[in-house]
Amino acid sequence: MGFITRIGRSVGGVVGVIYQAGRETIDIVLKTILPFIAFIAVIIGVITYDWNGPDVDGGTIGDALANVLAPLAGSPLGLVALTIIVALPFLSPVLGPGAVIAQVIGTVLGTSFASGDIDPQYALPALWAINPQVGCDFIPVGLALGEAEPETVELGVPAVLFSRVITGPAATIFALFVGLSVY
Amino acid sequence: MLDAIASVADVFVGIFQAGADFFVALTVGILPLVIVLLTAVNALIKFIGMERVNRVAELAGREGFQYAPLRFLVLPVLAVFFLTNPACYTMGTFLPERNKPAFYDAAVSFVHPPLGLLPHVNPGELFVWAGIAVGIEQLGLNVNRLAVAYLFTGLVVIFFRGLVTQFIYDRLAARADTPTVDAAATA
Repeated sequence: MGFITRIGRSVGGVVGVIYQAGRETIDIVLKTILPFIAFIAVIIGVITYDWNGPDVDGGTIGDALANVLAPLAGSPLGLVALTIIVALPFLSPVLGPGAVIAQVIGTVLGTSFASGDIDPQYALPALWAINPQVGCDFIPVGLALGEAEPETVELGVPAVLFSRVITGPAATIFALFVGLSVY
Repeated sequence: MLDAIASVADVFVGIFQAGADFFVALTVGILPLVIVLLTAVNALIKFIGMERVNRVAELAGREGFQYAPLRFLVLPVLAVFFLTNPACYTMGTFLPERNKPAFYDAAVSFVHPPLGLLPHVNPGELFVWAGIAVGIEQLGLNVNRLAVAYLFTGLVVIFFRGLVTQFIYDRLAARADTPTVDAAATA
């Protein structure tokens, strides 16, 4: 009997852990992912609505945006320029919070990729170009989570911000080369 | 008059219908896989437990350049995978003071590159990845190639970024001309 009880217990434990993981997952989906999809759907709705009707080409705000973004995100130089702008030490901490800017620009670029305005080989460098500012708004908090002293934070913030000016464009250039073999 | 109002209503509803179509495309196209993946990985993390990761962290805190790959590559990857954003930054606790900013930089730079394969690391910021990925998917291309490439370039970039940030931090600390916290602690 002891053997069967033990099997029953461990199976129960495994099921419990997976079930709990499922609860946490649905919690995250309801509280963070679905609200963001709703937010982005409203923005994309405005961007992709065809004002001129289906008979005329180029009637959406997205087409106008693509005209601006495609030269930037659709050429190696443009992508590096975009990276440098976003990585500027006085912009990067402002652009960081919630990665909202990166997510919106990414989704708008996604519609440009889907419509063929931008070559798919630029998808990988674009992922890096929209995100050199990642975490730049969060440096003091992140360091505090690692129990860093105030003196470390004082020097750590500029160290990270300056590092991004170098490593941001470097990452985009690296991704440009890797991206050639992706699609 | 009625026609004018009706055509305004057409535009009004049309805008939101376009948004609704996009909403359906995302919830049907992305969410099911994300939900199953999240559940599986969350369960896996509970099974493995955190003690093993803590042991790696203690090793990564040792002096010497040969431990740099542990500090700025292995530890950030493990921290992000097991603890996810933002708890992963607590792993810096195991490192010497002078390594903490560079570790943070490496870890925070890795909260998006795995999103295509492991969305659990940062589900709240999924669209840093998914925004572009949806566009690639609509082209009919294999989006997993992009996901793997993003993850791979992420590994290279965080290690390089950790080294550069450490270099800059050391220069700044030397120029600040005040004894670093480490020196003060050992003195």
